[in-house]
Amino acid sequence: MAIEGADIVKAAAFLGASISMGLGAIGPAVGEGMVAAKTCEAIGKNPREAGLLTRTMLVGQAVTESTGIYSLVIALLLLFVV
Amino acid sequence: MEELGRIHQLIVPMFGYKVVFNLETIVMTWIVITILTLFGTLAARKRNMIPHAIQVIGELFIAQFGGLVKDALDDDEMAKKYTPLICSLFLFLMLSNWLGIIPRLEEPTKDLNTPLGLGVLGFFIAHYAGIKAKGIKDYLLGYCEPFFFMMPLNVVGELAKVVSISFRLFGNIMGGSIIIMVVSYLTYSVLLPPFLNLFFGMFVGTIQAFVFTMLTIVYISVQVK
Amino acid sequence: MASDIQTWVRVAAFVGGGIAMGVGAIGAAVGEGYSAACANSAISRNPKSAGEIFKAMLVGQAIAESAAIFALVIAMLLLFSKFPTDSYVMVAVLLSAGICMGLGAIGSGIGSGFPTGAACIGISRQPGIGKRLTTNMLIGSAVCQTPSIFSMVVSFILLFTDFSQQPLLPTFAALVGAGLSAGLGSIGPSLGGGLVAQAGCEGIARQPTRSTALTNIMLLGQAVSQTTAVYGLLISFILLFKGVPDSPAIAPAAALLAAGICMGFAAIGPGIGEGYVGQKAVDAMARNEDVTAVITRTMLVGQAVTESTGIYGMVIALVLIFVV
Repeated sequence: MAIEGADIVKAAAFLGASISMGLGAIGPAVGEGMVAAKTCEAIGKNPREAGLLTRTMLVGQAVTESTGIYSLVIALLLLFVV
Repeated sequence: MEELGRIHQLIVPMFGYKVVFNLETIVMTWIVITILTLFGTLAARKRNMIPHAIQVIGELFIAQFGGLVKDALDDDEMAKKYTPLICSLFLFLMLSNWLGIIPRLEEPTKDLNTPLGLGVLGFFIAHYAGIKAKGIKDYLLGYCEPFFFMMPLNVVGELAKVVSISFRLFGNIMGGSIIIMVVSYLTYSVLLPPFLNLFFGMFVGTIQAFVFTMLTIVYISVQVK
Repeated sequence: MASDIQTWVRVAAFVGGGIAMGVGAIGAAVGEGYSAACANSAISRNPKSAGEIFKAMLVGQAIAESAAIFALVIAMLLLFSKFPTDSYVMVAVLLSAGICMGLGAIGSGIGSGFPTGAACIGISRQPGIGKRLTTNMLIGSAVCQTPSIFSMVVSFILLFTDFSQQPLLPTFAALVGAGLSAGLGSIGPSLGGGLVAQAGCEGIARQPTRSTALTNIMLLGQAVSQTTAVYGLLISFILLFKGVPDSPAIAPAAALLAAGICMGFAAIGPGIGEGYVGQKAVDAMARNEDVTAVITRTMLVGQAVTESTGIYGMVIALVLIFVV
């Protein structure tokens, strides 16, 4: 059974995409969880600023998530472009 | 088990293209729409200072969600504008997720097209609100933060919001129904599947409907601020 | 060649059994050690209620141990059952069942240790509410076990469904992927559930009058932090039951394996992160009862955003299964 080079490259691209997205998802999620956790704590201490805190939380999480989005972009590139 | 992930489709050739209708989803969506319309008419009919039962439910509901929207948007006028949208979004999603409890009926949210459509709707509304509140120049400048060359990533980030909001709902509802299916296939039990059905339908369904609605409000408020 | 298959199936059964018990024992041991440590410090703080603390510790440890017992059951089955030896697919079945149960038991063991420790310390502070704390601890750690039960279900399906008629290469990859998805996917959510339950026990020790409200919010936080485990189970079921066409090429098989790896790893982070959120939310609610509504809302929104990378993982996995 001759295995073609293109086949192996494709298989590697699939595995690479999955490792990129899988491992890349761990960090941002833990980080975003910490952001939201501290927000809950802060709202408990100072409920009057709930709106401001929620907005800050969302912006912070959006920035934290950027590495997750890089992983997503790389995974999609590996799946569809390479 | 072979029907896993398969849906009934009607494919109509039209102008050289194949137009696909997901029949089950369309029928189930219309059932939800009919129930909601009935509820709406009953709640709004013969409004009175001493309200009847359905009117009380409707009023309580709108007051609750009005408060939520006002908290998030921090602006009375805008809250008044978006409350009806948010209320109907939540009611539609909740009823859709509950529909699977009744045997032979399927959740329309189990089909990815429904959550995706609602996610895209929310996306456009949020960006329209953003442009209207900030003006087109500030809106576009918002993408160039913190530096200009971060723009593509900001755009991808915005699009990823649509993906995550719609796949969250789809994954939860689909996951629930597949788990129920596999459990009933494995156990032939009479008790366990209905219990799981109730758990996934009522509990998870309500939470996910609430999360979807809250995120839509939050996305609007992030764009407006 | 028949004897060859027989040899490999036996090798796979023994390796699978070893992985199931070896990896599966990590979590329970850590969790029980943590509970015993907490119980000791609780007894040193309040030696008079030593008996009650000791009882709570034993009950909690028994629950933490159940994940390891699931792993033991699967390992025993792998070691002592007779398996059909007509296809190499059986090798994948046995390895995958072992890996799935072994990985799946890690999180639940550690996670169940957290509420037990918190309950022991709570009893030392407020000896009068031992019963209420123990009940809450039992509920919380039982919910922590859900992901490991998911893994056990997947292992049982692997062991008792006949896959031998299906094409070798893609089925092999799909089964190993299914095991990894369910196994890895349950580590994070059960740890997260444990964190939430810990905060629930601490909160009840602080505010015994509001135990019902705190238990409810604890359950809500745990349920939401376990959604990524549901995604892992979903991908694993799709991999198990979606018939795959035969093909000699490696790429389609690699795509199925990759889907499992992707979903498995992507579920770890969100589970832990959502657990943190639930923990702090329950904690804040126990300290300040006026903020229940706004904290619940913030918790749900925060958890939803935390989950998004797990959803990206699920999207990539679905693309790998259905599109490429």
